[in-house]
Amino acid sequence: MRHGVAAMLGIAVLFLSGCGKAALPYAREMGDMALLRTMGVDEGETEGTVRVTVSTGRRAAGLQGESQPPLVLSALGDSLSAACLSMQGLSDNYVFYGYVDQLLVGEGAALEGVEPVLDYFSRDGELGLGAQMWLIRGSTAQAALEAGGETGVDARLFTLQTDSEMGAAGITRTAGEVFSSLLEQGCAYLPALAVTDPGEAGGGTVLLEAGYGVLREGKLVGYLEGEGAKGLELLTGQTAADIIEVALPSGTAVARVTGAAVECEPVYQGEELVKLRLYGRITAELAEFHDPMDQEELEQLRKALEERESFRLQRVLDQLRSWGSDCTALGSQVGRADPGRWEGIQGEWERLFPSVPLEISVQASLRRTYGDLA
Amino acid sequence: MGLLKPERTDSAPHPRKEPRFPEPLSRENLKKVFAGCADYMERRVYLHGDAGRTVTVCYLLGMTRNERLSDYVLRPLAQDPALSRVAEEELFSLLQYGALYNLAANRRTTLDEVVNDLILGSCALFFPGQKDALTLPVPTEEKRSVGEPENEPALKGVRESFVESIRTNTAMVRRHLKAPELKIREHIVGRRSRTMVDVLYLDGIADPATVERVGRRLDDVDIDGVEAAGNIEEYLVDHLNTPFPTMPYTQRPDRFCQALLEGRVGVMADGLPFAWMLPGTIDQFFKTGQDRAFHWMTASALNVIRWLCALATILIPGLYIALVTFHPEAIPVKLALSIVAAKQEVPFSTVFEVLIMLLAFEVLQEAGLRLPSPIGATVSILGGLVVGNAAVEAHIVSPAVLIAVAIAGVAGYAMPSQDFAAALRLWRFLLAILASAAGLFGLAAGCAALIYHLASLETFGVPYLAPFTNGAGEPRGHPNLLRPPLPRMKWRDGARHTLNRRNQR
Repeated sequence: MRHGVAAMLGIAVLFLSGCGKAALPYAREMGDMALLRTMGVDEGETEGTVRVTVSTGRRAAGLQGESQPPLVLSALGDSLSAACLSMQGLSDNYVFYGYVDQLLVGEGAALEGVEPVLDYFSRDGELGLGAQMWLIRGSTAQAALEAGGETGVDARLFTLQTDSEMGAAGITRTAGEVFSSLLEQGCAYLPALAVTDPGEAGGGTVLLEAGYGVLREGKLVGYLEGEGAKGLELLTGQTAADIIEVALPSGTAVARVTGAAVECEPVYQGEELVKLRLYGRITAELAEFHDPMDQEELEQLRKALEERESFRLQRVLDQLRSWGSDCTALGSQVGRADPGRWEGIQGEWERLFPSVPLEISVQASLRRTYGDLA
Repeated sequence: MGLLKPERTDSAPHPRKEPRFPEPLSRENLKKVFAGCADYMERRVYLHGDAGRTVTVCYLLGMTRNERLSDYVLRPLAQDPALSRVAEEELFSLLQYGALYNLAANRRTTLDEVVNDLILGSCALFFPGQKDALTLPVPTEEKRSVGEPENEPALKGVRESFVESIRTNTAMVRRHLKAPELKIREHIVGRRSRTMVDVLYLDGIADPATVERVGRRLDDVDIDGVEAAGNIEEYLVDHLNTPFPTMPYTQRPDRFCQALLEGRVGVMADGLPFAWMLPGTIDQFFKTGQDRAFHWMTASALNVIRWLCALATILIPGLYIALVTFHPEAIPVKLALSIVAAKQEVPFSTVFEVLIMLLAFEVLQEAGLRLPSPIGATVSILGGLVVGNAAVEAHIVSPAVLIAVAIAGVAGYAMPSQDFAAALRLWRFLLAILASAAGLFGLAAGCAALIYHLASLETFGVPYLAPFTNGAGEPRGHPNLLRPPLPRMKWRDGARHTLNRRNQR
């Protein structure tokens, strides 16, 4: 008993004297913090510098009132750490990075390479790789954050993320997913956003989907847009709000793609990879058509869908092969199909991927939830 | 002796005086013992009207029942003609063995015995020239009637509760357990109060070593009187330096009998309307008398909820302090924004807010308990609603803190044992202070200390955490977090060392 009391007194004296300060976490009041929600990274105006722009959401900046706009801070530094640290001096509140869940990377920074940014996110005590990562196409992250005005951009980014989970918008990726793709395959894709004028966008939306940026060795090599972007979604099995209109003799049929899966099968001759066969399977819902269609029209619609999806797959693979960027991990599928032979060709995959012949086939199945299909 | 030093007094314990009254047994000495006692009465009676043969009846007014004394003792003494005819030397035996109608008649030879009998409600008969006295128990039965257990209400169970009379309580137990194996050992505790404390157990089931240990500790209790539960509890328990109760008690005879059937040893004290069930393990404080009455799934779910409530009541304030003050990144974003919004314009630190609110909660509870129930309810409403709401509106306290403290407080009330809930309240403060000093690290260290403390407790040779860890290769009983169907609960817990572990076919 006496020993216990003596030990407790000793510990109390240790901490009261300040000796234990280094061992204990530091207390901060949440009410005095600026809780950052979005962080943007751009290349600096001068060589070797980086510009970091951060934004709080609404009601997240210390004693910020309901009607006050989000706090946007921007700092230039020789490194990300320096820029983030200098941010503390720009705010009246303690700038807290623990809630950053959106990471915007400007086009310039992406061209220089995103790996240092992702590495910083993975090692920082407050930041994490769970943040959603976006590429700002044709502009800077600072411009994107400042374009948010009084409402900020975090709500728009959160909406895009939620829509993506519901299949109503394009694919979103976290910084961790992008980083692991870069580390495993040396390339990755990430969603791109374009900054628009609020007046042009109508309704104040300032960030619009602008396809996908493709990274190779951490650097931006190009964008996938239009059919190429749809092809990427198909290739990754994440179809998003894909509506296909097909003109038929008795009118226009509208089909909504509800599911997609693509399998990659390698064809070997001996130990040599001679061909990649891609089997795509899509399911579509007949969304709009005035009458039950006859079998001939149904077949016509199915063929049109298959051709369209085949074209998309061909388009995206052509672009990815031209950049030498296997960002959808087709190589992994080839490896899983025949691990023994993969060991022999794994080292040559970078050479093989752009050149190996492709054979694409897509099978579509149609259905209609309410009413007869034909 | 120095002028500034207080005069030292002898602090050695006073030896217990045995016998208490060493004088020879006589009516005069008995009168001296009760000198100054207004309730001491004597009445001289002529046997069958024979003035040559008298007997003196001594008793304590109020301790005896008048009707019994009159009908069973005084009437035969005054009216039985045999008493005037029999030889004087046979008179004593005649009265002891049949002339009086009382249920029992005891021949006493010492003053101590007679004094004790009178206090317990007997009357004493003194015969001129006789050295012995005859005592006849005619105690009053004035006591509170058996009512419903107020602290352990029954929805689906017996509606009787122990009362202050120990004999009524043992009779209730006998009615529930009609087994001759139910043994009742009586001990007298208290130099002045001379309180009867009974040890009850089922012979052949309860661990004899535990029975002996309980009896030995009761015999060792040498205090003035037993007027409160602590007078027994604090002298029987193994550990005094713990806020956690180690002697579970109940007001319900059915629950008490169930404990005896499980191999526990019961303790009852005269004047206290409840009984203890020993040894007390932690699971006992989470059980209610209803557990065996409800469906096993319901009972299991309710038991799990009680354990979760225990965790909530002890951890929530500390966890709130640790997360909000030290580890805000661990809070989900939307919740963090709500907390930030709620914290706006509150001038105090989170630590201060939580500790003050915890203190205010205890004050309100204490104030409500000390006052008569209608005023107590008013104080609770005034304090809880009016002051709480006003404090939030005036930005003295943030609503999030109020909610956290209120949830912790209300969760504490889910504990069937208020003794255990009180211990959790103390540890809640300690964990909140540790969290204030070192965040989650402090909270985790506090939790580790709590587990260490609980694991170090033992009651009558049984680990306090026995339901979860028996140690030393003891056979375990049934799961305690859940209540299995009764047909599958065939074994008594091994940690209690019961002589017979099987409780059903």
